[in-house]
Amino acid sequence: MQLAVNIAVLAAIYALVSCGYVLIYRTSRVLNLAHGELMMLGAYGLFTTASLFAGYPLLAIATSALLALIVGVLVYVLLMRHMAGEAVLAAVLTTIALGILLRGTIILFWTAQAQHPIRALGLTNQSIAIGDAKISAVGLTLIVVTACVYAGLYAFLRYTAWGIRMRAAGQNPLLAAQRGIGLHRIYALAWGLATFTAGLAGMLVACDSALDQTMATIGLKAFPAALVGGLDSLLGALLGSLIVSASEVLIIYYVDPLLSEVVPFIVLLAMLVVRPWGLLGTREELDRV
Amino acid sequence: MTPPLLRVEKLEVVYHHVITAVQGISLEVPEGSIVALLGTNGAGKTTTLRAISGFLGVDDARVTEGSIEYRGHRIENLPPHRITSRGITLVPERSKVFENLTVVENIEAVVPRPGADARKLAEAVWEYFPVLARLRDREAGYLSGGERQMLAIGSALACAPELLLVDELSQGLAPLIVEELLHRLQAIRKDLGMTLLLVEQNAAVALDVADYAYVMENGRIVLDGTPEKLRSHQDIREFYLGTGAGSGARRSYRDVKQYRRSRRWYG
Repeated sequence: MQLAVNIAVLAAIYALVSCGYVLIYRTSRVLNLAHGELMMLGAYGLFTTASLFAGYPLLAIATSALLALIVGVLVYVLLMRHMAGEAVLAAVLTTIALGILLRGTIILFWTAQAQHPIRALGLTNQSIAIGDAKISAVGLTLIVVTACVYAGLYAFLRYTAWGIRMRAAGQNPLLAAQRGIGLHRIYALAWGLATFTAGLAGMLVACDSALDQTMATIGLKAFPAALVGGLDSLLGALLGSLIVSASEVLIIYYVDPLLSEVVPFIVLLAMLVVRPWGLLGTREELDRV
Repeated sequence: MTPPLLRVEKLEVVYHHVITAVQGISLEVPEGSIVALLGTNGAGKTTTLRAISGFLGVDDARVTEGSIEYRGHRIENLPPHRITSRGITLVPERSKVFENLTVVENIEAVVPRPGADARKLAEAVWEYFPVLARLRDREAGYLSGGERQMLAIGSALACAPELLLVDELSQGLAPLIVEELLHRLQAIRKDLGMTLLLVEQNAAVALDVADYAYVMENGRIVLDGTPEKLRSHQDIREFYLGTGAGSGARRSYRDVKQYRRSRRWYG
């Protein structure tokens, strides 16, 4: 039972992070390898707003979530926009450089010491008993938030005009522009949403445990989850997150806890050998990368 | 005299800094008319359309000379979605629809010209193409060629264009369907007060509906006039309509001697 709870919480983390990879990839065909660092930035953002608005935890959370959205839009407008029309590889390399830059800058501003944003917020992380298993309050929140984010994204992409335009632009950018859709606006929106969800994940994970430089690794471990599902499918990302987290938790429990950092990438390699376009991905999409 | 809706002046387009695809063409599209641009593969028709709709950048092509004026304003340096929002919409020749979106989503995805009523436009599309209304929830990738072309026209109409550019309407479609589509376009144009610029290899089809036509070869306009005038022109009859004197049957382009002779004339 405890194992199932652990899998669910870890899957929620991976799913919340990996939907950002999927959003950006399926809209603009760019792999955002700075996603983990942007997630970490969101968590440090919460740490700062928590001390700014001491005593108003909700205000602090809302502000840092909004900041994450703005940072995402800015990353696109100031940086990625200029990669339009260049080779996809150039854009991906840019995100790698951005990631390294962010990591360095974060140490400069916040030091490399482990922080505890939940204490700064003035909240405590109680554990709740479900049968004979225990789940932390933040862990439960993570699952609820992930469910809401996925439901929201699904409704946005399926039923709103801008969501449909985002799918259209991802499929055929030329035709989309001919139909009056401003591609820069769409891409900026995708980056904003992706960084927003990554920020949420970063904040929640930081509240559940602690916040330091290793958080970017969680972002990187969510990448296999996105890829196992097939990069351009949200449902795939959800499924991939479940597979990766289940294998990680089970191997930690039955084999060796030290393997936890390795498992997602073993799953990734196995998947790439057997079915490189992922479980639910479109085969032809990956040929273009 | 009122200025034409679209005026292309001495337009020159160069690909990759070296290949000149369009060599100083001039043409006019008066408001409310149907103008056809005819020519064979590689004549520069599609390049001209791309220049008008703002799509040269993707192929590393540039307008190096001349101008494109729409309602008296230069548009040759605008990005494509701005050109659409000014009222010029292209029905492209390939990849005409968003294949993984449903029919209705294809219509909903477009951003109509500012001031246009999106809902009313969508209703009009269903009215003009009842077949599409029946297939609303089908993924566009599963439509037949004719249905796809209808959807392409429909989603272009949903942009509320004043000038509709149609690239190779007849390509890959059965002659009966082409005829039906053209006549429907004619009716729609009358209802909505649109202007049409048709680009066609199939001269017979285009001359049936056009008010005026230009013929392109090797990046230049070599002939222009009313359909009556062009139909009676010896070379048009031979090379485009296949009704040349004596032969009866359509002549082949492999008839090199004839073809070269005409090339020399128009050079």
